[in-house]
Amino acid sequence: MRNLSRGLWLGVGAVLLIVLGWWAWDRFRPYAFHGTVLQSAEPAFDFELQSADGPVRLSDFRGKVVLLYFGYTFCPDVCPTTLFEVQRTMELLGDDADQVQLIMISVDPARDTPERLKEYVQYFHPSFIGVTGSEDAIAEVATHYGIYYQKHEGTPATGYLVDHTATITVIDRKGYVKLVFPYGTPAEDMAADLAYLIRH
Amino acid sequence: MRRSMRKFLLLGIAGLLVGALAACAKAQGPHIVVEDAWGRPSPKVATAGAFYMTLRNTGNEDDALIGAESDACGTVELHESFKTPEGAMGMRPVEGGKIVIPAGETVELKMGGLHIMCIDKQVDFTPGTKVQLTLHFEKSGDMPIEVEIRQPK
Ligand SMILES: [Cu+2]
Repeated sequence: MRNLSRGLWLGVGAVLLIVLGWWAWDRFRPYAFHGTVLQSAEPAFDFELQSADGPVRLSDFRGKVVLLYFGYTFCPDVCPTTLFEVQRTMELLGDDADQVQLIMISVDPARDTPERLKEYVQYFHPSFIGVTGSEDAIAEVATHYGIYYQKHEGTPATGYLVDHTATITVIDRKGYVKLVFPYGTPAEDMAADLAYLIRH
Repeated sequence: MRRSMRKFLLLGIAGLLVGALAACAKAQGPHIVVEDAWGRPSPKVATAGAFYMTLRNTGNEDDALIGAESDACGTVELHESFKTPEGAMGMRPVEGGKIVIPAGETVELKMGGLHIMCIDKQVDFTPGTKVQLTLHFEKSGDMPIEVEIRQPK
């Protein structure tokens, strides 16, 4: 009889421990990002480039999560695919969307004017900003963010084309590079990561 | 009575045979079916757009898409987006200038891959717009299709 009640108490204790452990794990486990996490010792490179509405500095957006995308307006497949996915991300974020700023940096400064870039990016979302600058200024920013881009001969109709790294660099609210989204990251994954960064 | 019945039967069989032969003759060669042809909406400043679709070859001979034309585009080219050795994304005309659709197989033209590129857009690519496009096939010849401008699914 005594042994039986002892066994019962032990059983109840074990169940309680499991439930508590599971709750604690669920509550305090580290968030697993979908994007590739980068540990930056220093704040992200603070550039100044030109938009149709004046100069744009990365530091203008301290306190927001910034998405940097390098692309060009002639690009009809890869760039719109990515920008459309960010548009969907903004929709998924709902009220949090105003805590996110996408900046598209042109890798084709010879053909992309600030005005063209503005019309292009705002087609996807009214908050998106497009910037360009001198060849040297763009090259400097791209180098700092590990972005590769290279012009190559196209056809007579296309003119030259630009190969470019099609990832999205995520800069957290304190101005540190935090994540990289590879090309093709679904909006659901980006929205989950960004919502976390907005709250933490 | 019996005789005429037999005659009737023979005639019927002959008819069936002719029909089957005709069907066989028709089934020789490639047969291309185009499904879900669409293009993405894009702003006016984007001078180029891309069309996507599924090309199904239900025939028993290979065929290839060798080009296309449309009044909605200054020039139409067959392209593919690809990953460069540096890990960047690039775009280039398709190898050999054609997209082969093997007999019995399906080739997908989709975002980030094979696409029909519309250079120097002549019309606004707003959702709901229908673009008339003529596909040129190596063996099946010309095929006019309609491309719907819509958001990706
Ligand atoms: Cu193309």
